Amino acid sequence: MSSSEAHAATGPNAYLAHHFEDIGTQNYAVRLGMWLFLATEVLLFAGLFLGYTVYRWMYPDTFQAAAKLLDLNMGTLNTVVLITSSFTVAWAYHAIKVNEIKKGIGLLVFTIICAFGFLFIKYGEYTHKFHVGLLPGKWYAFTGDGAPPGPANIFFAIYFLTTGLHALHVIIGMTVLVFVLVRTLKGRYHKDNYVGVELGALYWHLVDLVWIFLFPLLYLI
Amino acid sequence: MTAVAQDHANNHSEHAASGEHENHGIQRYVVIYLILLAFTGLTYVTGKMDLGDFNIILAMAIASTKATLVVMFFMHLWDEGSINRLVFVLSVFFAILLIVGVFGDLIFRLPVTMPPGMQH
Repeated sequence: MSSSEAHAATGPNAYLAHHFEDIGTQNYAVRLGMWLFLATEVLLFAGLFLGYTVYRWMYPDTFQAAAKLLDLNMGTLNTVVLITSSFTVAWAYHAIKVNEIKKGIGLLVFTIICAFGFLFIKYGEYTHKFHVGLLPGKWYAFTGDGAPPGPANIFFAIYFLTTGLHALHVIIGMTVLVFVLVRTLKGRYHKDNYVGVELGALYWHLVDLVWIFLFPLLYLI
Repeated sequence: MTAVAQDHANNHSEHAASGEHENHGIQRYVVIYLILLAFTGLTYVTGKMDLGDFNIILAMAIASTKATLVVMFFMHLWDEGSINRLVFVLSVFFAILLIVGVFGDLIFRLPVTMPPGMQH
């Protein structure tokens, strides 16, 4: 104990809370907490994926026809935007870890711009669906070409619930990244203290992870 | 082994056990990013083909591969301690169990109850 107290003011140990033995243990505990939270997020989305599975099993023809009414090009573009932002946030974490703060800040800004881009594309898709009546439940009013047989309103209920909850996660993830960016600008994150950047990045990767499954389930099949 | 070297070795093993990540540089991120883009292209092309039931299997196989790459290398679970791996793998296991388990009901009970307009 006395040795860690002697170094308390310098290096990573300056960020050590008194109830942890050393910085490694502290970071380990912090990461475990984040992974536990991410586990609950996986289970939250699992419920919606289950709903999708049940109704797709009951109405396969409806789902296949309804999926063709989604814009595959916009969906693919959004996939590329999210994968790119996942890559740049991983890079930002690495840059801050090796004390390349300016590069880290630039990459965080780029990641946040990607998040805005995703929401902008999603907004375009939603607007089109509202316009032509591809809506959940009793609001479904689509009469154009390729109108699916059967209860397509169920497909669009699932579409709006899953992509809506995902978009909410994008907004929360953006907020977290802005928070991380502000703290980096204030000089709080650097080679001795980067675990906060890592947790923000982990959340952003989860947003990407959910979309990796939503994209094929809704747009492709 | 001198006392100093012994101390250093102990520190190093504690360092590894506490889940500190090695510095890999960004080459690994770049390779994973390019693989993810390639899989996205592949899923776009095969998604436009009509492969019948094979479409859904292929799409889910590609998505699972992409997700594994993101979790292992972007989220560093590859380098992570065993407890964190256990937490995440268990949550995925229960998510899969939830979805697979319901198929017993879908296969055996739904045909008996037949909701109106059911297509299966």
